[in-house]
Amino acid sequence: MRNRYVILALALVFAAALVLGGCGGGDKKPAAPAAPEKMKVAFVYIGPVGDAGWTYAHEQGRKYLMEKMPDIQSTIIESVPEGADSERVITQLAEQGHKVIFTTSFGYMDPTINVAKKYPNVVFMHCSGFKTAANVGTYFGRIEEARYLTGIAAGKATKSNVIGYVAAFPIPEVVRGINGFTLGVRSVNPNAKVKVIWTNTWYDPAKEKQAAVSLLDAGADVIAQHQDTPGPQQAAEEKGKFSVGYNTDMSKMAPKAVLTSAVWNWGPYYVKVIDSVKKGTWKSEQYWGHMSDGIADIAPLGPMVQEDTKKLIADAKAKIVKGDLKIFAGPLKDQSGAVKVPAGQVMSDKDQLGWTWFVEGVDGTIPK
Amino acid sequence: MLKPIITMRGMYKRFPGVLANDNIDMDIYPGEIHALLGENGSGKSTLMCVLSGLYKPDGGTICVEGEEKRFRSPRDAIACGIGMVHQHFKLVEPFSVAENIAMSGQHGSFMLSTEKMTADIAELGDKYGLAIKPEASVWQLSVGEKQRVEIVRMLYHGSRVLILDEPTAVLTPQEAAEMFKTLRKMAADGCAIVFITHKLNEVYELADRVTVLRGGRVTGVLGRNELDTKKLVWMMVGRDVVSQYERGVMPEGRPVLEVQKAVAFNDMGMYGLKDLSLTINEGEIFGIAGVAGNGQRELAEVITGLRRVADGTIRLYDEDVTNSRPADMIARGVSYVPEDRLGVGLVPELSVLENLLLKSYQQPEFSGRWLLDSKAIKERAAKLVKEYKVKVSSLDQPVKMLSGGHLQRLLLAREIAEKPKLMVVVYPARGLDVGATEAVHRLLLDLKAEKTAVLLISEDLDEIMKLADRVGVLYNGRLVGEFPVEEADIERIGLLMAGSGTEGGEADAYQI
Amino acid sequence: MRIRFEKRLAPSPLMTVAVPVVSVILALLFCAAFLALTGRHPFELYFAMLEGALGSAYGLSETTVKAIPLMLCGLGISLAFRMQLWNIGAEGQFYLGAFAATWVPLTFPDLPVFIMLPMMLLLGMAAGALWALGPAYLKVKWRVNEIITTLMLNYVGILLVNYFVYGPWRDPKGFNFPLTAEFPPAALLPTFGGSRIHVGLLLALALVVLFIVIFRNSRWGYEIKVIGSSERAARYAGMDIKRNMLLVMALSGAVCGLAGMTEVSGIAGRLQPGLSPGYGYTAIIVAWLARLNPVAIVLVAGMFGVLQVGGYIVQTFGVPASMVAMIQGAVLFFVIGGEMFANYRVVFPNSKGAEKADE
Repeated sequence: MRNRYVILALALVFAAALVLGGCGGGDKKPAAPAAPEKMKVAFVYIGPVGDAGWTYAHEQGRKYLMEKMPDIQSTIIESVPEGADSERVITQLAEQGHKVIFTTSFGYMDPTINVAKKYPNVVFMHCSGFKTAANVGTYFGRIEEARYLTGIAAGKATKSNVIGYVAAFPIPEVVRGINGFTLGVRSVNPNAKVKVIWTNTWYDPAKEKQAAVSLLDAGADVIAQHQDTPGPQQAAEEKGKFSVGYNTDMSKMAPKAVLTSAVWNWGPYYVKVIDSVKKGTWKSEQYWGHMSDGIADIAPLGPMVQEDTKKLIADAKAKIVKGDLKIFAGPLKDQSGAVKVPAGQVMSDKDQLGWTWFVEGVDGTIPK
Repeated sequence: MLKPIITMRGMYKRFPGVLANDNIDMDIYPGEIHALLGENGSGKSTLMCVLSGLYKPDGGTICVEGEEKRFRSPRDAIACGIGMVHQHFKLVEPFSVAENIAMSGQHGSFMLSTEKMTADIAELGDKYGLAIKPEASVWQLSVGEKQRVEIVRMLYHGSRVLILDEPTAVLTPQEAAEMFKTLRKMAADGCAIVFITHKLNEVYELADRVTVLRGGRVTGVLGRNELDTKKLVWMMVGRDVVSQYERGVMPEGRPVLEVQKAVAFNDMGMYGLKDLSLTINEGEIFGIAGVAGNGQRELAEVITGLRRVADGTIRLYDEDVTNSRPADMIARGVSYVPEDRLGVGLVPELSVLENLLLKSYQQPEFSGRWLLDSKAIKERAAKLVKEYKVKVSSLDQPVKMLSGGHLQRLLLAREIAEKPKLMVVVYPARGLDVGATEAVHRLLLDLKAEKTAVLLISEDLDEIMKLADRVGVLYNGRLVGEFPVEEADIERIGLLMAGSGTEGGEADAYQI
Repeated sequence: MRIRFEKRLAPSPLMTVAVPVVSVILALLFCAAFLALTGRHPFELYFAMLEGALGSAYGLSETTVKAIPLMLCGLGISLAFRMQLWNIGAEGQFYLGAFAATWVPLTFPDLPVFIMLPMMLLLGMAAGALWALGPAYLKVKWRVNEIITTLMLNYVGILLVNYFVYGPWRDPKGFNFPLTAEFPPAALLPTFGGSRIHVGLLLALALVVLFIVIFRNSRWGYEIKVIGSSERAARYAGMDIKRNMLLVMALSGAVCGLAGMTEVSGIAGRLQPGLSPGYGYTAIIVAWLARLNPVAIVLVAGMFGVLQVGGYIVQTFGVPASMVAMIQGAVLFFVIGGEMFANYRVVFPNSKGAEKADE
């Protein structure tokens, strides 16, 4: 009997909500009827903006964009899960008249494609995926090149010759990063090993920190990472060891530990995209930028980095930017020592995009 | 002469519907072991709970060493040196012994000095022969050990008056003997011990003085050298011979229930029933007298299929039904009015209507293969409520809102409506007032007239004498006496209930 | 002087209606203060939230889409809760349902739709049921606490799905990304019109009707009710408690498995990690707030849908996600807190009157 009242109550709340919603619709002023219509751009983020990490790097890019192009208007939606929610969020952004929508997580790939079909006049830019359409482009950068440089710093800094790597998920993007980093380490220190732990999370500061602690306990004295939080850096800081950050310059969070960080620099690319959309020259593409484009870089080296190391890194960077140093050039050996890419060849983009094996020097396994 | 450490005068305590303590006076002297003797429900535990600060009295005064005290909680009582060990231990299982003892701490400081405490506890234990390990976790301990922890806890907090509620109920005879030694040592040290019991042999073995309660009043106080079994039993159960109900003499019927050498364990894995045999015939009421906890519950459950027998057989109309499922026993016409009316016999949260359906929801009159026939169910419920005069505001009223008497009527209505061949009733009139009691008794006599065999388990001797055709006494899981009601002598029953008068009654309280 | 809470014997009908409504209003006012402090127009935001969730056909349809898995899981959970079986494992059962359903199109991509979908449905439900049966069996056999086992199996279930998606079931054309291949059209649940509302909604509503019949008028529902209220009484009445525990948990798991199946087949169109943003856990709150009443579960799930869908809309006004989470949390907090006042009465003891005994 009581339940009937519960239902009645809920129905009332629901009805009230509907009515209010309806009124709201009637009363609402059209959004900013300012003089010239500003172009609206939207960003969909996987995590909260925070003060470091993947989403923060994109947010820095957006701020850069807004600075360079004050005549546009931008919207962000953060913490959007990759399931059913993302498709709705993207749809609503398109519906609200956003002309360009950046979706910045791999899991947004299908939703982005689905929504793009319904809104042919909106430009969609999906970060890190592989599906395109007439109005959907993808963009990503070869952060491995920056990771290679950070590997040099780590390889020179390690005393135990064990470097820990806290890695998110065993997907090609992460595997590439580990391989690039390891090649950098081994270019200056052929005896060093890179020990990998998978966390199976992107954003879990406590768990990622714990993973770093266990690597440190296992003898590592430099911690690198592929996560969206600075948890591993904090672990290294607390234990008085070194670390290499990712996404953004993490020296703020662990000033004594961070040698350098492999960082994203999305801003210039965002400016380029918006510019081409404005001019009407935008075409769908699969952009996979090099360090030479400025999309990936390394953060300023910490004071603990030796002078000779600094020079090594500067030289390598110059070569990579010029195109003289291809980090994934043969001979590339796998963990068993078998040559996978013979000398004289460079691993193809296609193989890099689907990379599922570790190079020699990595201590870890990729779950099959 | 020694001055009493505790003086209680005019203690009153009323619970809804029951006057548990009615103007009780009691003195407790230091260094004595004082037995508090009485039947279940005579008010012993209530009185001691009042003394230990757990209940607030409705009247009367408590003086500790001549000074009047008001206890608002057990904490206050402990501060005055009064500690009680309950039948159900109040220990926190995952904690260690030392932590449990420290918990009810009066020793002010927030931080505990573990080492000192551990040493103190060990010393106390040694002194009185109470072997306990302060660092052990309580869940690992046996029942006897837990009891020792409770006692040490009280001593640790400076108890000079130690109250034990039926301390031997959970102990093996060996453990009980140890316990008695300990208690004597404490008394010799000047501690006053009050122990609640209903066993005469314990009184003889241990007590310096005994106060006997019956129906919430003191019926006598005897010193050690005045002890006399007859006197004690009379004080405990004695009353005027009760008036009999008019009852027809039934011709001897066929045997309905035959229990042979049943052995069953109680919930603690100890013997609940030991080689118990009994037979009940059609149209006969067999009364089982005895103090609660001597196998009553196990007997009722074994017959109704709710508990397995480890040995022995149970036959119903000559068919072997040993260890049948409860549903089978119901189908064979065994009705059961359990001790816990609300919670077992009736579901408190459910309505009158739903409770009346409990035993019959599978019968084709009320239910198809899947769906219930709500019309038929309602009609029958309305009929039963009217017929048995159960006072309800509506059939949808949750039964927890009914009064005790009407609960029992409702329960009996349902059980009788099943037209049982055998009816097992446990404490049918407990907690009911005179009118309700008589109504319940009438129903049982009507059943008898319908040739139903009735097993009446009760601790109220009046009730048994009024209703039963034959009487048996249950003591320690055995039927220690069985006679026709005409030959029953209330004093003899009382003796049997208290465990004296049987050959080696106490000796076989062995443990598995 | 101490303030005490006294349980009401029966909350008045007016209270039962008024308390949740007032609670929601209070929650919104409470958050309005915060929003105003941060320089926003709270009521404009609220209107936007409701308009986004309910003010257009699209918003309404998306709110429904969001509510479907909550309804299904809530219904599944409510069944077990009615018998005091604390199935906290809806999340794992959801994933197992999705997992088993995915096996069909991945193994037999060419099945016709009228075999494909029923098979996915059955397997999804069976897998959910199995995932719940484990804990139920342990409980029946050794009295293992089902709260722990069902909760733990959530992690096992999620990791199992991850293992397959990262490993054997990885889409060969997917550049080693953790996704299965897209389902063939025959493995996709039909949707209504152009919206994403799928047949799962009809299944949920059918279950609501079924549950109402079971609880109102069936022999089995009666048994569940008695067992849930008092196990000892149920035993006394000759009910087979163990069999019912297994049955109820299996069905509870099956319904949660169905939720997973409909989500993977109706929304995602492929199995992927993070298929559920915690539906199985949210559904516990849904079932509880709805007092396990099937119709109320649908409405509460709808309310959660509004909160979720509306929440993202508010972000377009520049409100950070954490503020949205605060609004959602405050609504829940106030509604649940309001329950307290519907069920209990606050008693201020007067110092003059004689204190009554506590016992």
